[in-house]
Amino acid sequence: MLDITAPTTEKTTNVPAINELVLEQINSQIANQLNTGVLVLDADFNIVLWNRFLQVHTDKISDNIIGQSIFSAFPELPQRWLTRKLSSVLQLNTPSFCSWQQRHHLFELPHTRPITTDSEFMAQNCTFLPIETDATDKHICILIEDVTDACHYQMQLQKTLAEIAQISRIDGLTQIYNRRHWQDSLEQEYAKARRHNKKLSLIMLDLDHFKLLNDNYGHQGGDMVLTEVSALISTLLRVEDTFGRYGGEEFAIILPETDSAGAIELAQRICRIIATTPLTYNDQVINVTVSLGVAQLSDKESNYEELITQTDSALYKAKSEGRNQVCSAAELVS
Amino acid sequence: MNEFHLTEDQQDCLQELINIAMGQASDQLARYLDTFVYLKVPSIESVEAKDLMKTLSQQKNTMAVVSQGFFGYEGIRGESLLVYQEEDSGRIADLLGYEPDELSQDEQLIDISSILTTTFLNVFAQQIDNRLSYNAPKLLPNVQEILSEHLQQMPFTWELALKVNINYQVTDYSFNCNMILLIPETAITNIKHVLDRILEEY
Repeated sequence: MLDITAPTTEKTTNVPAINELVLEQINSQIANQLNTGVLVLDADFNIVLWNRFLQVHTDKISDNIIGQSIFSAFPELPQRWLTRKLSSVLQLNTPSFCSWQQRHHLFELPHTRPITTDSEFMAQNCTFLPIETDATDKHICILIEDVTDACHYQMQLQKTLAEIAQISRIDGLTQIYNRRHWQDSLEQEYAKARRHNKKLSLIMLDLDHFKLLNDNYGHQGGDMVLTEVSALISTLLRVEDTFGRYGGEEFAIILPETDSAGAIELAQRICRIIATTPLTYNDQVINVTVSLGVAQLSDKESNYEELITQTDSALYKAKSEGRNQVCSAAELVS
Repeated sequence: MNEFHLTEDQQDCLQELINIAMGQASDQLARYLDTFVYLKVPSIESVEAKDLMKTLSQQKNTMAVVSQGFFGYEGIRGESLLVYQEEDSGRIADLLGYEPDELSQDEQLIDISSILTTTFLNVFAQQIDNRLSYNAPKLLPNVQEILSEHLQQMPFTWELALKVNINYQVTDYSFNCNMILLIPETAITNIKHVLDRILEEY
């Protein structure tokens, strides 16, 4: 291991020994050309030394800062927290760290990438090191690394991941939730309703004669209908309802804390509004209707899949009884 | 049994070194925290890579893992993992002497981990006439899935890990965590040399 503080080496006898002054100059030049801030404090947290990196990144003048308390030189520092941190370094004789991921920066230093980053200050990783010298009191060395780039890329990555997560939940055509996410939501709502003994209802709906629509207007016409109907239904829902595309032309709505009367009322409104809202495609008016099945969670279902089965049976009944209507699972039992 | 396993003598010697290190570390810690720290004798076991994966993936309520690399002379290096269970994390800010709103839960875990790791390993290093440096501690994200992935992606191959079970009780409440020291094969060989040297001296 290279130890730059070591005085002349003993082993290299044929090489002329470097005198201590030269060695000191080398050390000081390295310290001044580092792209890392170096700040040394005494045991009372007064500044003993700082390197060029900090001098050029702050507007403070070197003469004024040496001997000053770190807290008066950098009033932006969180004094109570940092005092505790620095005390741990002195007392335990161990290094301490502070990452930008927990605290974006400690020192308010400008950075050179103003356009691409969110913060006006340099993101920093700081290391606090105990320094033992011949002096009776210990010193603390603070290393300040500029991690603005890493911080920026990490933020972008997180943003992208959030976008991908969002995309993975959304149906590409209709922009409502896809089946996978809808089903995950139902599983959660089912567990919640069971745990807290709350009401829960489901609506499943199907576009009537969708195959005919596709045959008459082409698949693009069919796609338009799916998109428009999804948008229309979305406007009728509460924020806590989860609306998803269950299959080709089949949709499903989770209604937390809703009994079957409330669900039937909503289903009937959806049925009526879709039947009375003509859609236009290539200057042609398309009239669409939907059939809807409704079920409320009861004591009988032992999992969320059984609630889907109930709702699906009600939907099947609405279809077989002439479409463009609402049928409730409760009617099936009687 | 392979070349990386410790002999009974080596194991005893290591346990003794760890006991002393842990004792001194907790003494320092007690003074720093200005409170009474009660420490149980740490149990150590060496675990093989594949077994460690199994144990860790079975710990269902693992809440957080903080990782910190260490490196010293004579090829002594590795990574320390501090594993916390959900119930352990309640009052770390109190323990560290911070105000509750002064630092986030993540920062509390990182701070206490760094203190535990470095105080312990510093004393341990002194015992074997070594001196360690440390990387910045990192909280591993999404522990459940990431931990085994993290272990597989280590830049070194390791056969043996040293699991040190630390149990700190601080006055009126208890604080538990597991410290796992992952030590690469070459470093194990080096540690064995050091242990043998110590055994010879006594």
